[in-house]
Amino acid sequence: MTKEDIRQQIEGYAEIQAEIEVLRKYAHDRRADRGTVERVINLLHPKELNLTVSEIIDETPSTKTLRLTPADGYLPPFQAGQYINIFVTLAGIRSSRPYSMASSPAQTAYYDVTVRRVENGFVSNYLLDEVTVGDSFVTTSPAGLFYYNPLFHGKHLVFLAGGSGITPFMSMVREVTDRGLDRNITLIYGSRDPEDIIFKDELEERAERHGNFTFIPVISEPPPSYSGHRGFITAELMEKLLGDMKDRMIYVCGPEEMYRFCLPELDKLGVPKKRVRQEVFGPPGNVTEEAGWPSEVSGDTAFEVKIRGGETIPARADEPLMISLERAGITIPTSCRSGECSLCRTKLLTGEVFQPRGAKVRKSDRQFGYIHACMAYPLTNLEILL
Amino acid sequence: MENGANRDLIRSRHHYNKEGEMPDYDVIVIGAGNGGLTASASLAKRGAKVLLLERHNLPGGCATSFIRGRFEFEVALHQLSGLGTPEHPGPLRGLLGQLDVLDKIEFTEEDTLYRTMIPGEFEVTLKANRTEIIAALKEKFPDEADAIDKFFDLVWEFCLQMVSIFFMKDRDASREKYPTYCKYAIKSSKEVLDDYFKSPFLKLAIASYWGYIGLPPSRLTFTDMAMLLWAYTEFKPFHIKGGSQALSNAILDTFIKAGGHPRFSCGAKKIVVSDGKVNGVITETGEEITCNYVVSNASTISTYMEMLDEEYVPDDKLKMLGSRSVGPSGFTVYCGLDCEPQDLGIDVSTQFISLNADIEQQFATWRTFDRPEMCGMSCYDVADPDFSPAGACQVAIINLQFADHWLTIPPSQYAEAKYRYAQDLLDIVEKVYPGFGDALEEVDVSSPITHLRYLGHPGGGFYGFEKFAKDSNLFIPPTSGIEGLYFAGAWAGMAGFQPTLDSGVSAAKAIYRKMNE
Repeated sequence: MTKEDIRQQIEGYAEIQAEIEVLRKYAHDRRADRGTVERVINLLHPKELNLTVSEIIDETPSTKTLRLTPADGYLPPFQAGQYINIFVTLAGIRSSRPYSMASSPAQTAYYDVTVRRVENGFVSNYLLDEVTVGDSFVTTSPAGLFYYNPLFHGKHLVFLAGGSGITPFMSMVREVTDRGLDRNITLIYGSRDPEDIIFKDELEERAERHGNFTFIPVISEPPPSYSGHRGFITAELMEKLLGDMKDRMIYVCGPEEMYRFCLPELDKLGVPKKRVRQEVFGPPGNVTEEAGWPSEVSGDTAFEVKIRGGETIPARADEPLMISLERAGITIPTSCRSGECSLCRTKLLTGEVFQPRGAKVRKSDRQFGYIHACMAYPLTNLEILL
Repeated sequence: MENGANRDLIRSRHHYNKEGEMPDYDVIVIGAGNGGLTASASLAKRGAKVLLLERHNLPGGCATSFIRGRFEFEVALHQLSGLGTPEHPGPLRGLLGQLDVLDKIEFTEEDTLYRTMIPGEFEVTLKANRTEIIAALKEKFPDEADAIDKFFDLVWEFCLQMVSIFFMKDRDASREKYPTYCKYAIKSSKEVLDDYFKSPFLKLAIASYWGYIGLPPSRLTFTDMAMLLWAYTEFKPFHIKGGSQALSNAILDTFIKAGGHPRFSCGAKKIVVSDGKVNGVITETGEEITCNYVVSNASTISTYMEMLDEEYVPDDKLKMLGSRSVGPSGFTVYCGLDCEPQDLGIDVSTQFISLNADIEQQFATWRTFDRPEMCGMSCYDVADPDFSPAGACQVAIINLQFADHWLTIPPSQYAEAKYRYAQDLLDIVEKVYPGFGDALEEVDVSSPITHLRYLGHPGGGFYGFEKFAKDSNLFIPPTSGIEGLYFAGAWAGMAGFQPTLDSGVSAAKAIYRKMNE
């Protein structure tokens, strides 16, 4: 070979060959490093966790906290505001739901997830009614993007919480107050009635003890005697409570309706979009009401989804494809179930789906026909590649 | 070439194994990085039955993107080399054409190689054109005008000799015929720079691409420094509409259309060998799939040390692995800004910002948490205004980092360390572009541990092994030592997009030559 011929004629070739001989003689034994990569990953981002319920704490009449401890004694760290996705098998269907940790990231002896009852909540009602101390779950490791980023969030934080949307904020408040961090937090927490305020006593107590944390409950259906703020979190109320919104970072987490209401209120105050952080909240309650849904497709239309090299399964138009797959016993990787994390990215070979605006699908994924199954609704029969 | 019309189909499509059974696949490719993708697509297009295993849920490896808010951040590609224009095509254009991806994606050409600067002290912008580069350097360094001419003559002469020897495959190559190549090929870049130039700023400006190889001039071969300058100038730097994920998706599309089977979220655990020959792969779920050939796009270290049983690892390979050092990983701050690049005065795609002219010292900080002394800064929207949404742009700020010191941090302090280092990099950029911090709308960060996690490579090394002269293909034989096992990717050759894309095609060629024997 040409290369063989000329390479020995390169100036310095023999010296480097001699160097290689020496290095090989004193070579590091790479067998000693076996498993290092996996060990490093498992300390920070294990693929899954095995968690056991060690304690169940009643919070409000409709809310409980499940304290989850690791089966193998180790939990990875997380950033306050992140969630784990909990897998359950109910009525023969393997599914999952993400829950934010409410506990402080200052300790990882356990993760607390706080669950509120929701109407027809497939998983939440099971967690509230069926689960007992000692039960175990497989979960993802902590994930999610709803957390404090010191690189651009600043020091003045406003949290707008609604209902069970308090959980990520609880973790952030606990962290900032327990660790004495240099951040100011104003938490405005909307609930239906005073009974519904999750973590009420603890929030009040922390607000009392820490000058950099202010807690303001807002009650939409208060009893006549209620003396605090009434109604919703309006622009007017925020202006009154917060004054100048400049340099503040607003975080919003709550039920779907809360975003519909609060985001326009923030617009009214002239808060730029880049100063508003929103947590994702799962697929829309009724996808057929979303902007862009084709009116000719009725929600209960049944389509067929053919999986290349596998079976054909039924799928309703108004259910995310991921749910139809789970009903058919097919689990695909998932974490956020809100179109954001992209773990359920799936190739659509033929057919058409509706993806609501929140689905964060890459530009080239749209071009090459990839969808996020957790936020994709069939509009025709489909063929997919898993 | 018409698509499919002129395929040189593999004659004996399936080889029977020793029990006379037909294997499940001709080839199993482990890993859908650049090399794994081009290997898979090349083989499938030539009629081989190919399974592509990828443990992540999407193709690309480094060549990928992620979404934060309204931004889709480019993870790895800064400047694509070797593409060339349709009129003056480079080798990569031919390669991508054969994989049918040229009509699937669009490329954007950059007219500038880079701007090198030391804030407040020095800056020079080099256009992607030899005459203009020389003029720009002479303007800054009039005393060294002569040396600048001579140096660029040397670089071009050297590279053209190299092209004749290795790309044109001159059978009569000899020292007499190619004296410049033989004299300079493995000389250190520092030696040559010191021979030609006096100003440390001039040396810094010329050696600015050193980070693309990951070695300072004292360790960087002249081959690497010269080829970077020459190839980016001759074939121009490019980027891709939709980012490097678009390229990964396009190659995968070719693979699927050619009948290839991709399987995502499914890693390979073991390579099965019997009688010294590759026989199949066991997946992480325990499924055994048989094949005659394996292309590993995983690191050579994990392929030999984790996937192969020890008895099959040749002793000289074990020594080879132990005699080489894992190259750098990197630290990137991905910034989404709520303004156009020009609002901040950003007018070139690629910049190298240094706090001093001492590259050797800058390299030394890659092994520590000390404040970084340089960074690369890519703003993709300068050449492609559609890269980010209207009124916004994205900037990647990168400094390379070895992983070792990152592995010493307790997990609970990892996030804090990441933010601290990211802030140091943002501080450097703020010196050049005041107001940069105020324009931030989305920021995320990747560290060596992030790369380790997503790539599965020891040390998160996205360049594979360090690229000393001794690690070049002049000294390292390309064979695996195990029949049926081939490699693709940075661990088995050169690093970067063009070389790794090329490595997969080379592995594919070697396999179908073997299949047709």
